[in-house]
Amino acid sequence: MNDRTVRGKKNIIMSIMSVIVLIVLLFPIYWILVTSFKMEKEIFLNPPTLFPTKLNFKSYIAQLNVGDFNMFRSFANSMFISTSCMFISIILAVPASYALARYRFVGKKVTVLAFLITQMLPVSVILTPMFIMFRNFHMINNPLSAILADATIGIPFSILILKNYFGSIPKELEEASYIDGCNRFTSFIKILIPIAFPGVIVCGIFSFLYAWGDLAYGMTFIQDQVNRPITAGIFNFMGQYGTKWSYLTAFAVVTIIPVAIIFIFMQKYIISGLTSGAVKG
Amino acid sequence: MKRIKRFFRYDNVGILYILPALIYMMVFVGYPIISNFILSFQDVTIKTLNLPVKQFIGFENYIKVFQDPILQKSIFNTLLFTVLSLIFQFIFGFLLALFFYKKFSFSKPVRGLLMIPWMIPVTITALMFKFMFSSNVGIINQALQGLHLISAPIDWLITPNSAMFALIFTNIWIGIPFNMILLSSGLTLISSDIYESASIDGANKFQTMMKITLPLLKPTIQSVLILGFIYTFKVFDLVYVMTNGGPVNSTHLLSTYSYKLSFTLFEYSKGATVANILFVILFFVSLIYLKYTYSEEGEK
Repeated sequence: MNDRTVRGKKNIIMSIMSVIVLIVLLFPIYWILVTSFKMEKEIFLNPPTLFPTKLNFKSYIAQLNVGDFNMFRSFANSMFISTSCMFISIILAVPASYALARYRFVGKKVTVLAFLITQMLPVSVILTPMFIMFRNFHMINNPLSAILADATIGIPFSILILKNYFGSIPKELEEASYIDGCNRFTSFIKILIPIAFPGVIVCGIFSFLYAWGDLAYGMTFIQDQVNRPITAGIFNFMGQYGTKWSYLTAFAVVTIIPVAIIFIFMQKYIISGLTSGAVKG
Repeated sequence: MKRIKRFFRYDNVGILYILPALIYMMVFVGYPIISNFILSFQDVTIKTLNLPVKQFIGFENYIKVFQDPILQKSIFNTLLFTVLSLIFQFIFGFLLALFFYKKFSFSKPVRGLLMIPWMIPVTITALMFKFMFSSNVGIINQALQGLHLISAPIDWLITPNSAMFALIFTNIWIGIPFNMILLSSGLTLISSDIYESASIDGANKFQTMMKITLPLLKPTIQSVLILGFIYTFKVFDLVYVMTNGGPVNSTHLLSTYSYKLSFTLFEYSKGATVANILFVILFFVSLIYLKYTYSEEGEK
């Protein structure tokens, strides 16, 4: 392992190079951030200013007034949809993944395969029939329609991730709990879930992020602007005021904030979720 | 009753744990897939949506759709978009994975920060690049003009070929972290003993790469490419927000064209037909992927 560690001059050079790569790749994010603080006039300057000449918070403050697109209302809608979706995914995925990791039952292999395949489904294939289904149940414009649809992405992902977590817990731990008077069910609740808790967090994060980033379901099933999630709201705004970049970049920054917060505090969970989910299937 | 009890006595009780999730997925994924399939053989539009009995028209939708020049263009675009995105995401991702394989002071935090493009909602990414590619205020035109590479601003998103380029460019940006992180974790799985013995045997860097790294990384590369194919082939939000298939239907992918048929033109059956074509292609690719990962698990 030690030969991978770089020291001395090479360490400094590689560190500087990595920062250059970072600046180049993350420039678009920096760019919308500074643009959101510029006056509309300054955005049109050529050559552009790399930093706002005067910090301008108008693009954010203007959103507090109720217009035809209220950013904070949409933000709250998205929060509600994503959080609900997260809970649905966790509640359904925890027992299901435990069963897949610990029990051998009829049809187990087929079930795992089915979950794997649903993860790879295009949104398009369920969008039209789901729209017709929700329409027949008078659920169009009801946030529940977006929640139910968004959870179909989070559930299979969570099940496959958590299956690995439960699978990696040594069986002896469970057996020890039987001696202490647990049965299989209480041992699952009291022993296994607490141990697999990091996995539950990974699933929660990803289910939340999938729903937070969703556009297709939110904009198709929820057509009232006031009830729409923030992604769909922004898309609408782009259609109406396509060149109001000071506002648009401010919306973008606000939408990224929860993602950034999750990233800062949960980075190790995210990377473990991404790698174990994709490589091991 | 006794039989049922006996069935659930031992391991089959697992079915009860999995049942809620399974029922959920059957109602909200299984049923729509079947219903989409049926819909593609019917004639359902906004006019016939409320009729109690829908008319079956056989393969008529498929015949019409395949004769449609926009669909042909969409298939071509989807393939072009997928293949070019995959190639460049993979190359950049692989180079970065090799770079961060070395442990230097900043390697971990910087590699972590590079994950951000992948986490941002695609709608926002699309907005970001739409802004940067815009003709009059876009920084890309301003930079190219500043460097005297172009004399007049390019209408990136308003000209068919350059719009397609802009879409692929943006999608590469989104996909680099995904490729990087999976290849990184694949690299760390290769035991350092092998590298040591190779350097004792006098292998140079190129030989080590060709004879050790690439062959041992093959399973990871396979799954990265196939998964990348699946995820890229079904991209929807990016194109929908950046160009919405325009200018004049020149940048539609199968996913966005299906959406347009269903929700702009209200030709639900035709939309379902295009979605079904997309589904069938991805289904077979998914089976290939599963065959690979499963055969590897069998070897363990």
